[in-house]
Amino acid sequence: MSYKCSRCKRDVTLDEYGGVRCPYCGHRVLLKERSRDVKEVDVK
Amino acid sequence: MMVPVRCFTCGNVVAEHWEEFKARTREAEEPEDPEKVLDELGVERHCCRRMLVSHKDLVDIVAPYQ
Amino acid sequence: MTQDYEVEFVERSDREARFLVRGISPAFANGIRRAMIADVPTFSVDTVRVIENSSVMFDEQIGLRLGLVPLTTDLDDFEVGDEVTLSIDVSGPETAYSGDLVSSDSLVGPADDNIPIIDLKDGQRLEVEADAVLDRGREHAKHQGGVAVGYRHLQRVEVVGDKGEFEDDETHILRGVIEEQAAEHVDGDADDGDLVLTEEFDSDLTKRYPGKELEVHDVENAFVFHAETDGSLSVEELTLRAVDSIRSRADELRDAVQL
Repeated sequence: MSYKCSRCKRDVTLDEYGGVRCPYCGHRVLLKERSRDVKEVDVK
Repeated sequence: MMVPVRCFTCGNVVAEHWEEFKARTREAEEPEDPEKVLDELGVERHCCRRMLVSHKDLVDIVAPYQ
Repeated sequence: MTQDYEVEFVERSDREARFLVRGISPAFANGIRRAMIADVPTFSVDTVRVIENSSVMFDEQIGLRLGLVPLTTDLDDFEVGDEVTLSIDVSGPETAYSGDLVSSDSLVGPADDNIPIIDLKDGQRLEVEADAVLDRGREHAKHQGGVAVGYRHLQRVEVVGDKGEFEDDETHILRGVIEEQAAEHVDGDADDGDLVLTEEFDSDLTKRYPGKELEVHDVENAFVFHAETDGSLSVEELTLRAVDSIRSRADELRDAVQL
């Protein structure tokens, strides 16, 4: 699962010990990156 | 956010006139009367006219919070 | 049993027309109107595959906007259910327009090129593949070719006398098309039998027949249709296809009940 820190914009990988926190700057707001899959949407 | 593509009521395509409408009534140095501009663009019915008159672009306002 | 109808155009352009049809019943007139709205198929984006969308709107919102873009439809070459793929790839800072849609088939493409889809900021990108399908208006409103299709009775204005000397000059508003019956009371050019749009005299009968006592009647079985299209078909094509669809259903019914 890849996240991006909203302050320093670096990629962050979370593990079960660190909690929700950026290991580089300590910021607690992380943004989840969009999946690279092609998403199919029905327009009905 | 972005202009509705069609009129909610009648289904006429109104978005194609939006940029000209916006340029002439809101962004021009001497803004024209929206009534006149809509008449010239051929947006006749009041259901279609309200789509343009009451619209506000919000993309620029939300963009910084992406 | 076949019957001929008299059709006369009052106004005509590629996307909008007004025409008079004589000799049809109100039920048939309504049948034509309904067929123009719900039974003439047009192409419309139905499924989108989002490869990249970093814009401020959700994939579903973009999909809906693409679905509403009218696509040119040639009904001689396609059948209901046929699919055509279109793609769009725009990088910011720029606005993605319907005109940026690239079609795999030159017969099907956006009818209007300057419908803004989404305003892209620096670093944002939209890359989408869209499948357009040919279907009818009764399945989804985005497949409707006709916009604001309607009809009115043709009207006849009769001059029954002069207005009283002290009567008020109230306006007498009438909209639609009138069939001239009292040309001698009109200033300027007018002949009996002319079809006159009420807009020509500001939809106010007192301007056309000043100081006259008037009576307005519907002309039986004569209907003035007003039709517009969203650009996917011409009005002519829309009307003819609508009538064809009624005919084919009537044939089907006749065959079904025949012994």
